[in-house]
Parts: sequence; structure tokens; C-alpha cells
Amino acid sequence: MSGSIEVRGLSRTFHTTVRRPGFAGALKSLVNPERVAKEAVVDVTFDVAPGELLALLGPNGAGKSTTIKMLTGILTPTAGEARVAGVVPYEERERNARNIGAVFGQRTQLWWDLPVRESFAILRDIYEVPEREHRARLGEFDELLDLSSFWDTRVRHLSLGQRVRCDLAAALLHDPPVVFLDEPTIGMDVVVKEQVREFLRHQVEERGRTVLLTTHDMTEVERLAERVVLINHGRLVLDGSLDEIRRKFGSTWQVRATLADPHARVEPLPGIALLRHDGLKVVFGPAEADAPTVHQALKAVIERYEVTDIAIDEADLEDVMRAAYVQAEAVSRAHAEVPSGARAEGV
Amino acid sequence: MAAVHAWRAARVTPLGELHTPPRMTAALLRLTVQVVLVASLWNGLYAQTGTTAGLDRDQAVTYAVLAVLASRLRELDQYAGRDTVLQHMHFGTIVYWYLRPLAPQRYYALRALGEQLYGLAWALAGYAVCLAVGVVRPPESAAVAGVFALSMLLGQWVLYYVMLVIDQLCFWTLRNGAAMLILIFAQNLLSGVYAPLWFFPDWFITLSGFLPFQATLSVPLSLYVGRIPLSEAGAQLAVQAAWVVVLALFTRLLWRRAARRVISQGG
Repeated sequence: MSGSIEVRGLSRTFHTTVRRPGFAGALKSLVNPERVAKEAVVDVTFDVAPGELLALLGPNGAGKSTTIKMLTGILTPTAGEARVAGVVPYEERERNARNIGAVFGQRTQLWWDLPVRESFAILRDIYEVPEREHRARLGEFDELLDLSSFWDTRVRHLSLGQRVRCDLAAALLHDPPVVFLDEPTIGMDVVVKEQVREFLRHQVEERGRTVLLTTHDMTEVERLAERVVLINHGRLVLDGSLDEIRRKFGSTWQVRATLADPHARVEPLPGIALLRHDGLKVVFGPAEADAPTVHQALKAVIERYEVTDIAIDEADLEDVMRAAYVQAEAVSRAHAEVPSGARAEGV
Repeated sequence: MAAVHAWRAARVTPLGELHTPPRMTAALLRLTVQVVLVASLWNGLYAQTGTTAGLDRDQAVTYAVLAVLASRLRELDQYAGRDTVLQHMHFGTIVYWYLRPLAPQRYYALRALGEQLYGLAWALAGYAVCLAVGVVRPPESAAVAGVFALSMLLGQWVLYYVMLVIDQLCFWTLRNGAAMLILIFAQNLLSGVYAPLWFFPDWFITLSGFLPFQATLSVPLSLYVGRIPLSEAGAQLAVQAAWVVVLALFTRLLWRRAARRVISQGG
């Protein structure tokens, strides 16, 4: 079964009641509630190929979880359409459920009072997984996630890391081709995070599962995703590979050099700006347009000047995404100011 | 693929109870104390009188003790197991009910079935003990026993739907604590758990006739003790069945609307 995800012009608007401030306001809201529409997701379009891991990124409240909820069939979109493994999720919830697995952060789907293995057995029955397959899959997950040391413990007594590992296993017990993970490693220690990342890598590379992951952990993105989709205020503002994003937002490198000649004439190079010049020490950075990569800049500086020492500072993905979020925010503001009929594409 | 083995989800709550021995001990103690107190109370009340409200002492004690045993059928501690609809809404875990190839309404029904079968085991064990020590009297005839069993089944079915409506409220209000308190009081009062309805004024009995609570316990217990004769059983069973149909349609509508309201916390 193909585990592709196709999203076309997906939108979701929520209608909420505005609570006015103060006692009089609260009373007024009670008698005459004011309803407002909030666009949580607006015209989002993207694809995920079978066996691909896509990171869906964005600041808090950007619409990531709402998008996932529509793709899992929990929410029905206001407009647009989605297909997950060939199924329209919100129209055929039960059929879609057999094709997908999902973990929503720290929310567990396991039964609090039961030992983990009992929870797994109940899910086996619900998903109609043959006993032999169930045992084989549990064995595989145990090897990767070290579950057997605590799977006879009741869920209420598990640590967060143990519980999330169990939830990951629970989400994949029925062998779904598509997996949705909404901040799965939130609050976990580095050792468990790495174990989970290894597990996910295995599921994508060895099992060919399609994974849609939301996270705020850029190390996770760097280690797992080749492609990211960035949304802000419900709108898709970027869809590309990590390299493309770095090129677009990550040009915040600096080349620091110590010159050999104190009388050398220091000036900007093509695409490279001179940021500081203090005696023998010079600092170059990217010019606003057509900036080269940090390695090209390094080469250019060495070729142009005689240096006794040289070092580079490169922005990590966290910085890159911060720059992307800032730009996305500017785009969202522009969208809010431009009349809807005159809107152009984002970044 | 048909969900052939999904019915096994019915074991969720009984398994949780079996994995928590202190809860079972507490249930045993509570049931024992309630039965002893209720039997003592009604024996005491009838010490100076023969027949009141159409019930003699044996009938009244049997009715009251059976009411205690029957209330055990849906008294499991879902809250401690973090498995109430209220908690699932609060923690956002209700989304998983909509991510499985087993519709939420079916899962809820299976879980309730498991609870009621587990509760039935307790109630039957308690009944056997009470019967053996003479606290309750046996049914008058096999026909009475059969009609009582059928009426009890319908009564529990009605009770299931009433509890479901209260749980479904959470999809709109997020909390159902107040509704649950009202329900528990109304259920105990209007179904005859506190006292058989025959002791209440006529207007109260008339009023309760328009509500489903009477159909849950008062009818089957009255049939058991003979306060409702077998000749009137058909009409009573029909009323119970009507409540089942009405509530089934109503809760089905609510499930459909609830599915549109599954918005847990977070973007």
C-alpha cells in the first residue's frame, strides 16, 4: 500500500466566542455572545512521498496540530482536500485508521490501569493483528526501544520516556504505512530522545514508513528530516529541503581572519560584506544579495588575503529556523494587510 | 475487515480492577456494609407494622437489598483508571478514540458491557450469599425470575444510555461533574435505590413515570418482589423497551454531533 500524503488547499476555520473583559463584559458575553471566526489553517498544499520523513515546523499556534488532526481524520477541513495512503481521512475514518499510526506528544493512548502488554493486546484485538505478527513486531520494537524491561508495569507507574516509547510502539503495532508524530520527544532526556530518533530512522529507512513529524527540536529535524514544511498563522510559508532553507535563511555565517599584513587594503568581496576591521582582525559576513556559502566565502578570503589565522562561525539550524520564523511572521503580517483577492504566494 | 476480535476491548475495565486488589477489597467492604445496613434499616422500619405501601417486610427488605446489589453493576472506578470521557476530554486523549478502526460509540458500548458483566459477577455472588443466609427471598416462580431477568436487562440498557448522555455532555461542556451529581441523586431517588417508589406520594410517582430512571431498577425489582404482578409485566417491559429505543436514537444523534466537536487542547 502506498503511504503517500497529498494535501491540497486545506483550510480549517474555528468559530469561537469572544469573552469580553470585566464583570460587565462577562455578563454581556453571557447574554449576547460575540462569535468570531479564526482561521487555524489556510490553503495549505504539500505532498509527502512514500517512505519520506517530513518535518512540519512552525511556532506555537501556527496550525501544525490542526493540520495533523485533519490528516488523521479527527477534524474535517472547512475547505480543500487531503488523501492519506489513498484515503480521504475525514470521510473514511475507520479505513484511514488502519493505514495510520499517531502519537500526540505526552498524551498517551495506553490504558492507565493496565500493564503495557495488556494495552498492546487490546490494540492487537482492535486492529485485528494476527497473534504471530503481533509477537514478531513486539520483538522488533523491544530490540529498538528496550520495552521488555518495563512492559509488565502498569502505565501509571512508567516514566515519561518509558511511556512515550510504549506509545510509539502502540502506534505502529498494526504496521501502518503512514505515521503522524506530534512533538513525540517533548520533555524527554537526551538518551531517550536519541533512542526514539534511531527508532524513527529505522521505521523510515528499513520499513519504508511515511512519517509526518512536528517538533520544536531542531536537532531532531537535522538528524531525521531531509525536507521541511514551515507554516505560520495557518499558512504554508516554505516547503523545501534543509539545504534550501539554510541557503534561504541560514546565511548568518561569519568568517573571522587575522591578517598577516597590517597595511593590507581590506574591502568587501563579491557577495561578502566587511562587518568589522580592527587592526589585523577582520570579520566578513554575507552581503544581502547573492551571498556565497560559508565555505565559498572562506575560500575567497584566503585567496584574496594572506592570513595567519582564520575561523568560521556558522548559524545552527535553530538560528536558521529563527530567521525563517521572523520572515514568516513578516509575510503573515503582509497577508493580513493585503486584501484577500490580491494575495500572492508566500516566501 | 470486520472487527472480529474488537469485542475483547470489553475487558478493559474489569482487567483494570483485577490489577488493583485494593479497589476490589474496598468494593467488597462497601457492598457488605451497605447490604447489612440496608437490611437492618428495613427490618427495623417494619418491626411495628405488617404491610406498608403494598409491601410486606420480606418484600421491602428483598427490594432494598437487591437495589444495593444492582447498583454495583455500574459502580466501577473509571475515574481512578483515568478512563472517563471527562478525563479523556481534559487530557486530550479522546483523539485516540477517533483514530482506531473501532468507532468511539462501539468502543464505549463494549467497555460498558465489560463493566456490567464484571459488576454482574459481583451482584450474583452477593445475591447468592444473601439468598443463602435468608436476607432476600427467592422469586415466586420461574416465570417471575425470567421476567425479572428480562426486565433487569432492559433496565441496565436504559441506565447505560442515561450514563452515556451524561458522558456525551463533556463534548459540549468539557466538564460533567454537576450533571453527574444530579444524575446519581436522581437515579438513586427515582429508580428506587433509596426507597421503593411505592412509598412516595402519587404526584411523585406520576412525575417519575415520565423519566427513564424508574425503568432502570424500580420496575425489575418490583416485578421480582411481586409488587407488580406478572399480568402487568408486558406493559412495563414495553415501556422499558420504548426508553431503550428513544435513548438509543438520541445518543446516536449526540455521537454524530460529538464527532464534530473533538477539538482537544493545542493548535
